[in-house]
Amino acid sequence: MSICFEKLSHEYSPGTPFAFLALKDINLTFAEGKMTAIIGATGSGKTTLVQHLNGLLLPTEGRVTVNDHVIEAGKKYPKIKDLRKGVGLVFQFAENQLFEETIIKDVSFGPKNFGATEEEARERAVRSLKIVGITEDMFEKSPLELSGGQKRRVAIAGILAMRPRILVLDEPTAGLDPQGAANMMELFKRINKENGITVLIVTHNMEHVLDYCDEVVVLGKGRLLMQTDISTFFENEEYMKKAGIDPPSIVRFKRFLKEKGLELPADVLSIEELAAEIAGRYRR
Amino acid sequence: MKNITLGQYIPLDSFFHRLDPRSKICAMVAMMIAVFIPAGFIGYALIGAILIMCVFISRLQVDFIIKAMKPMIFMMIFLFVVNIFVVKSGTLLVSFWIFNIYSGAIIETLYIVIRLLLMIMITTLLTATTKPMDLTLGLEHLMGPLEKIKVPTHDIAMMVALALRFIPTLIEEADRILKAQASRGVDLENGTLREKINAILSLIVPMFVSCFQRADDLADAMEARGYAVGAPRVRYKKLAFTAGDYIVIIGANLVLLAVIAIKIWVIK
Ligand SMILES: Nc1ncnc2c1ncn2[C@@H]1O[C@H](COP(=O)(O)OP(=O)(O)OP(=O)(O)O)[C@@H](O)[C@H]1O
Ligand SMILES: [Mg+2]
Repeated sequence: MSICFEKLSHEYSPGTPFAFLALKDINLTFAEGKMTAIIGATGSGKTTLVQHLNGLLLPTEGRVTVNDHVIEAGKKYPKIKDLRKGVGLVFQFAENQLFEETIIKDVSFGPKNFGATEEEARERAVRSLKIVGITEDMFEKSPLELSGGQKRRVAIAGILAMRPRILVLDEPTAGLDPQGAANMMELFKRINKENGITVLIVTHNMEHVLDYCDEVVVLGKGRLLMQTDISTFFENEEYMKKAGIDPPSIVRFKRFLKEKGLELPADVLSIEELAAEIAGRYRR
Repeated sequence: MKNITLGQYIPLDSFFHRLDPRSKICAMVAMMIAVFIPAGFIGYALIGAILIMCVFISRLQVDFIIKAMKPMIFMMIFLFVVNIFVVKSGTLLVSFWIFNIYSGAIIETLYIVIRLLLMIMITTLLTATTKPMDLTLGLEHLMGPLEKIKVPTHDIAMMVALALRFIPTLIEEADRILKAQASRGVDLENGTLREKINAILSLIVPMFVSCFQRADDLADAMEARGYAVGAPRVRYKKLAFTAGDYIVIIGANLVLLAVIAIKIWVIK
């Protein structure tokens, strides 16, 4: 259960005046069971990268390996449906994909496509909807009656109901209220921890990266800039500058303390730990 | 879906790109009429030569023009087959089984094919060198006189402009929804009829929903910026003829005259 990109490049509309090389020579491995953030400026190629994971985009050079599926440049991959069954991809603005008359039917759509029976699909749908916090009284409503945030939850439930081994989320919290976004991130973390599912999450929110992820991959102009663990990343000012990223408030606060002469260990990255650390020093 | 080149604007900088859309439209009309005058191969050779010259001036890649012609291949084969059965003029060339191929059929087919190719070249030259917005602006100006007989030329132009403006957006949207549903296991190629119908529904319904939403948002956005139906408007962009525009219009009409002359004096 691992994901591996080898010398992967992707060019949009090759051979036309609109040709655009969106990914260049990406070499990257994602370990199983981790929660990894994929970050980078707008247009850096994050969406392009994750769409390779379930064969929506095929590499124009190099290859990508997902478990025992190997997708090579220039070759049509025959077992694409099998691949998609194992990799759940939640799109940027996923709320636009709802189409059935009722919420429950929409969520059952994925599992049914992948061969689940009617009852099985329904049962999975009920469970997924509960996980994302949609209550039973809404199951028979039309998806169009929901608010944007609720639609997003239903769309995510639609992917969870497929029971993927790898969950890929493209900016799942963009446009949600802060509390709703935090709940969503908690949910992904729980899925990651409890079921051992590999989670890749594209995000612009550094607080989320800091609070929930194990690892971070930084893209810039279609190239892989770095791949490190969270504490190394947020400790190193150079890295953040190179990635063009504003540090999260806690990192900024630690920097401020450092300037004033109070240096704290690198792995202190949550408010509780920080408070305990500071309190400990002044008690001494 | 990304491979549709017919009607696509190619942002380059050339003599043709800089022309006034009105003169390009006029020139296109003149050339189209010329194509429809049956002036034989000599006439087509003349038009073809002029158009090829125009393609080079416009800096478009020859590939691009050829690609625009590709969807027509099917139609050409179809025409050829039909003509072989229908046209029985000229001398008999080949005869086997129930087929009799006459020279008339070949010439007839060639005429239609050449005519089609020339027409595609002309329209491609226009659309590839003119931004859709400029094209509609030009059309609106040219339709101006119709305003006198109460034709809502401005509204028509606005509708055309909006429709053109949203084609790429809708293609992008369709692409996105297609991918999102493919991630949920939708397979448009395989499956039973029922599954296929469901698969197509899963694309069409979200497309409709997003179209209506977009239309609503757009109407609000336009009203918020003071757009009112039927109200007089001023223009930000003023169209102005330059020397080049006169040259192109005169040139196109000269070609038309030449073709008419060929028709009258050369092909009797
Ligand atoms: N269908 C397409 N055709 C041509 N170019 C494209 C296409 N899709 C994306 N691109 C280009 O590829 C680059 C990377 O796009 P991508 O969507 O992967 O960026 P992203 O990192 O996801 O950005 P964002 O944070 O805004 O979502 C962009 O410069 C974009 O213009
Ligand atoms: Mg993106």
